[in-house]
Amino acid sequence: MKLTLTASTVFLLSLSVARAGDARVDFDRDIRPILSGKCFQCHGPDAESRKGDLRLDSLADATASRDGSRAVVPGKPDQSALVTRITSNDESIRMPPADSKLELSDAEIRLLRTWIAEGAQWTQHWSLQPLVSPTVPDVPDEYPGWARNSIDHFVLKRLSEKQFTPSKEADKRTLIRRVTFNLTGLPPTPEHIAAFLADTSDEAFERVVDRLLASPRYGERWARHWMDAVHYADTHGHDEDAIRENAWPYRDYLIESFNSDKPYASFVQEQIAGDVLFPDSSDGVVALGMLAAGPWDESSQMGIQDGTIDKEIARYLDRDDMIATVTNTFLSMTVHCARCHHHKFDPIPTEDYYSLQAVFAGVDRVDRPYDRDAGTASRRQHLLMEKASLEVRDVADSSLLDPKVLARVADWERRRPVSEWHVLKLDTVKSTGEATVTKKDDGSVLFSGKRPEIDVYTMTTHLKSQRVTAVRLEVLLADGLFKNGPGRQDNGNLHLSEFKLLAATGDGEPRAVALHKPIADFDQSGWTIAHALDGNPKTAWGIYPQVGQPHQAIFELKEPVDATDGVTLTFVLEQLHGGGHLIGRPRLSATAASNPSAASALSVVPAEIESILTVDPAKRNDSQQSTLSLFVLTRENAAALAELPPQPMVYSIASDFQPKGNFVPARTPRAVHVLRRGNVLDPIGPATPGALSCIDGLKAQFSTIDLSDEGRRRAALAKWASARENVLTWRSIVNRVWHHHFGHGLVSTLNDFGRNGSSPTHPELLDWMAARFRDGNGSLKQLHRLIVTSAAYRQSSRHNELFARTDRDNVYLWRMNRRRLDAESTRDAILQMSGLVDWKMGGPPARQFVLTGGVHVTPTVKYEDFDLDSPDARRRSVYRFIFRTVPDPFMEALDCPDASQFTPKRSTSMTSLQALAMLNSRFVVRYSEHIANRLEHDTADRHQQIRLLFEMAFGRSPMNDELEAVAAYADQHGLPNACRIIVNSNEFMFVD
Amino acid sequence: MTDASTPRREFLANIGGGFSGIALAHLLGQDLCGDDAARSTGTELNGTRLSGTDLNGGIHHPAKVKRIVQLFMNGGASPMDTFDPKPRLAELHGQQFDPGDGQKVESVTGSPGFKVLKSPFEFRQHGESGRWVSSVFPKTAGVVDELAFLTSMVSKSNVHGLASYMQNTGFTLPGFPCMGAWVSYALGRISDDLPAFVVMPDAKGLPYNNQGNFTAGFLAAQHQGTLVKASAANPIAHLLPPNNAGYITDQSETAGRALLEMLNRNHAIRHSGDSRLQARIESYELAARMQLSAPGVFDLSGESDTMQTEYGLNDKVTEDFGRRCLLARRMLERGVRFVQVWSGPSGAANNWDNHSNIDKELPYIARQVDQPIAALVRDLKSRGMFEDSLVIWTTEFGRMPFSQGSGGRDHNQGTFVTWLAGAGVKRGVTHGRSDEWGWKAVDPIWCYDLHATILHLLGIDHTKLTYRHNGIDRRLTDVHGHLIQDILD
Repeated sequence: MKLTLTASTVFLLSLSVARAGDARVDFDRDIRPILSGKCFQCHGPDAESRKGDLRLDSLADATASRDGSRAVVPGKPDQSALVTRITSNDESIRMPPADSKLELSDAEIRLLRTWIAEGAQWTQHWSLQPLVSPTVPDVPDEYPGWARNSIDHFVLKRLSEKQFTPSKEADKRTLIRRVTFNLTGLPPTPEHIAAFLADTSDEAFERVVDRLLASPRYGERWARHWMDAVHYADTHGHDEDAIRENAWPYRDYLIESFNSDKPYASFVQEQIAGDVLFPDSSDGVVALGMLAAGPWDESSQMGIQDGTIDKEIARYLDRDDMIATVTNTFLSMTVHCARCHHHKFDPIPTEDYYSLQAVFAGVDRVDRPYDRDAGTASRRQHLLMEKASLEVRDVADSSLLDPKVLARVADWERRRPVSEWHVLKLDTVKSTGEATVTKKDDGSVLFSGKRPEIDVYTMTTHLKSQRVTAVRLEVLLADGLFKNGPGRQDNGNLHLSEFKLLAATGDGEPRAVALHKPIADFDQSGWTIAHALDGNPKTAWGIYPQVGQPHQAIFELKEPVDATDGVTLTFVLEQLHGGGHLIGRPRLSATAASNPSAASALSVVPAEIESILTVDPAKRNDSQQSTLSLFVLTRENAAALAELPPQPMVYSIASDFQPKGNFVPARTPRAVHVLRRGNVLDPIGPATPGALSCIDGLKAQFSTIDLSDEGRRRAALAKWASARENVLTWRSIVNRVWHHHFGHGLVSTLNDFGRNGSSPTHPELLDWMAARFRDGNGSLKQLHRLIVTSAAYRQSSRHNELFARTDRDNVYLWRMNRRRLDAESTRDAILQMSGLVDWKMGGPPARQFVLTGGVHVTPTVKYEDFDLDSPDARRRSVYRFIFRTVPDPFMEALDCPDASQFTPKRSTSMTSLQALAMLNSRFVVRYSEHIANRLEHDTADRHQQIRLLFEMAFGRSPMNDELEAVAAYADQHGLPNACRIIVNSNEFMFVD
Repeated sequence: MTDASTPRREFLANIGGGFSGIALAHLLGQDLCGDDAARSTGTELNGTRLSGTDLNGGIHHPAKVKRIVQLFMNGGASPMDTFDPKPRLAELHGQQFDPGDGQKVESVTGSPGFKVLKSPFEFRQHGESGRWVSSVFPKTAGVVDELAFLTSMVSKSNVHGLASYMQNTGFTLPGFPCMGAWVSYALGRISDDLPAFVVMPDAKGLPYNNQGNFTAGFLAAQHQGTLVKASAANPIAHLLPPNNAGYITDQSETAGRALLEMLNRNHAIRHSGDSRLQARIESYELAARMQLSAPGVFDLSGESDTMQTEYGLNDKVTEDFGRRCLLARRMLERGVRFVQVWSGPSGAANNWDNHSNIDKELPYIARQVDQPIAALVRDLKSRGMFEDSLVIWTTEFGRMPFSQGSGGRDHNQGTFVTWLAGAGVKRGVTHGRSDEWGWKAVDPIWCYDLHATILHLLGIDHTKLTYRHNGIDRRLTDVHGHLIQDILD
């Protein structure tokens, strides 16, 4: 029972502390913890586990009469059944019952009694109360001049209540080291220290703070905190720990967002539904990396067939991770606890949990294309909307005869190169997959019947009196295929592995004709037309997602074929990818044009349009003109889209993507059910999209939106989470920031603002900051500035044993907290000291290991073989590649999390294995040499070297005995050894 | 960076490894252990200094087991081809598998036809207990009277990764602490010279989930398994400076430690009242001790030729697993509390994931472990180490009674075999039944039950060993777990 016991010991301690200054019992502070800890298990929000039909989580229920008795009679403890039951000596009626192994202490019983005697005041749980900015208290008279801003007024008030006194301001060297590590994750340079010491103005510290907040290093530091919170990594995790090549754009998004001080509401919205809410911004899609940041179970998602129980479980669990990521991070609520039952302690019914499941019912984690700059994103968005409208435009639509449109058509017609393609009349057609072959009048060939996995089409034609400079392959639409193809795959796609041409004259053997300069009107991402000529059967040309429209590709002959004396051409279309990725209706053409690439794919028009074009424009009827207009608008739209720069990918979420094995897109939201005890085999009923129902003033169910559109579901959640009324969101982020400044939050459970979490030590300060932050456009930089320029932050970390006796953990801030460097700060500080750090920002992660093929999906990762002098070794730690199941042993020893779980705050261990890592890791050993080289390069004087080393590592000059001792050691055992000892010291590893 | 809500134990656990146990016991000992809890104080074990207080008396009741070797057969060892014979399969061989009652037969990676496959191996009874063992384990068959078999283990998943997580951590998701980490968290170290929890993967590679199976999850990082690469030149990362660090010598190390100590002591004097500073100073002292004692674990020159032969060290097939079993025994002797030895890397070959051909694949992998396991059991017993040591043989799931391909078997979460041997466990018994085909367990035994039983043997009540994470008091056994009384001595 040791943890429970210890926790309650701490709890009682804090209880007595809390009671010391306030006469009246406070429900939320004093009573609710007792009720939730000892009573809610059977008398709480969960109806299934409720006993005696009694709820003690609502005043109405607690005071209601049942069989003439009332659990709580306000003002009258002796008439309250609750008091009778908890004080009874009769084991059979005494609460809590013996078998619960719960017990009320005498102090707790007294509190409950007093609370009822004082009228049983019932208040909402602190984190759900309306967020109203409290009045800033006056500074108590005994501390004139200490306070620097309003934060200090609140802190002083609590200190005064507890009869503590604040500490005086730390010295300047301590301050600049503290704030520089805190805001940028790096030590101050000797130059920055000197400048600060030389600046004797009143604003000297503020100037340092402003410089640090403006530094790009700030975003790198604070993005890393966020990556911990959302469990970001560059691999999937799980059994098949495959690499996510495109996770990093989300990391760069975070860094840029922090550096640009993005308003917090936008930051929240982008990460839940940026694609829907900000479709023409580049951040909109990249930000969705948050939803995909956690582990993904490739074995279950890709290896297991649809319709199996294992697959269904995998999908629920996958969404569970998205829900936990969003609700833990933004709301600090443990919503995931309501998966199997109503939340035991918080007002979160299990229906709320499954409403959130329904919000994410249409998405999966997958690489998704995006645009790097806002201009392109906006233009693409505009063109895609135009495309969508053209696709449903009726030919009879009068807008197609608008003079402006007609002018565009005329212009297009003038510019149009004349086609010089001749459709080839085929002699023989063969299919190795035994498809049914039907030659069509338009020269195309239909391949139908039972669809084989792979197929090779071989087609021959005989030419005479012609020269061939290029050939064209059209893949045309065909009835009976998904969206009429043009591919035979279930999604309308095709994969052309290799396109080959052979020529034979007379009775000669056919010989290969070399092809080059392939062009296609559209390439699937990663499946370009060049793959059809690369001789590699594993790569291919594809056209997804542009199904439902014909496509074509042109191949130039390196040497033209002269057919004057007759030649037989053989076309071989190898389609070897498998899964029925086959062409449904190909057509082949040839040209003798001297510059065939000018006759680009887009200059070719269908037969119907060709015939309209033969009619004099003035003589065309409306139907012909409209048809032509629609064609031209569509064609120009496609051309404009094709001209946009290619889209990079980000690992995020999407509802539609290219299927891979058994991993297929939802396209429309999947059915989600409320499950009894989280069991997929025991559905209670359909779940509808929504959020938490416990926040006043916010509608929990998203019933007014179009539920068939998954994007709208997420957009509704994004609006809900970022709403002004969402009191959890504003309190959560302010507390998170405070934690990273002071080492502990005002609420110590950063991800749990529920009844089982901690209560705020300074509730008024928390609310004041949260309201100010919310009303100040959610500027994090302003919040940082406010906090770090406060007197509370600037205090010395000097210990006070007397105060520590009653407040061991310094929750009331009578001093600053000393903190151990985390893994990234340790590594980055050493890098900076070596002078070799590469400040390059962003881009693919630095792989600080050697990767070789593994025996399975997961590669073999060897950190011990990595070249520590390579450029990748010199990047800041935030740019490291994070391999979930094979973490860097050095970083791991320093408590760097492996991203399999949310890590709102890190543990800071001090173990012998950590000591060994600091002494003997290849990184420390090598970079100690680099630091020594740098020092020797700066000065040949030993004492000067040691002074500089102390300035860089500790932010101070050495005392004489230290200087002599370290210099003597360096003289005897070399400067690298001295550097290695210095970075192993406590003074380096702790920040005062 | 402690905070108001951090339980004091968690804070203490964050400093100084083995000291956590000591500090904890001093502070809370009276509340944690019964007065009758046996507690060793400053004893020596085979010449190794042990921590003053190692909680080997258990924290909720007296312990029977103090140290554990877990042998993990990676890939899913087939029950009906090893320890759980199914004569019915020979009768039905080649027929369509039909369990009747319209029960649906699923297979995760696809087994066309579901044709019943009899075991290609001969089963015989062994020992006084008459335990049936197939011909793939001739040596293990010789020690069956020491073993307690669980022949109806079940899992929640048919997928390697999830099932491996489950057997190791009790959950099918990543990020939860494994049993070794929980034990380290609960009991701390026995010795200050070596880690509490050591993992030795197969020389061919890491198992499914890589290091995810040995993680401390949300517990402090110090509780995760220390990875030991038994056949590498430097088996423990960071134990010694890298070979190419020419500037580091024995002399520079000695003088360097003294300098570091001086700097740190002066710093601590200037910054009084912070126990973490002292803890970190002590962590360097412990590190130095570990540097001295750890290499001795790997120096097998003190082991007789007979002993090395017994463990299979001079046979190429058994050499790797045998070495790791012998090292495991040496680690237990020197105070490592939990050693996990893996057979087989992840992937489709060289492990227990016998999809294609049971006839060839199973004997190949079984021979690697058979002799070393028998040697380990005999050795621990003859040294009297079964007084307080436990051996666990386990895997993540079983295999199907029908064929995949010509003669392989697909994954089966329905039933599989685990065995235990040593302190507190009955000898030569079997508990749990599977159905006539070895398709599903008749009396399912979950990892929760196995873990609860092992914790019980360590003097820990599995319902009380908790850690608050993300709003939930997490346990190794989730909200489940029943002691397997039938095998408890």
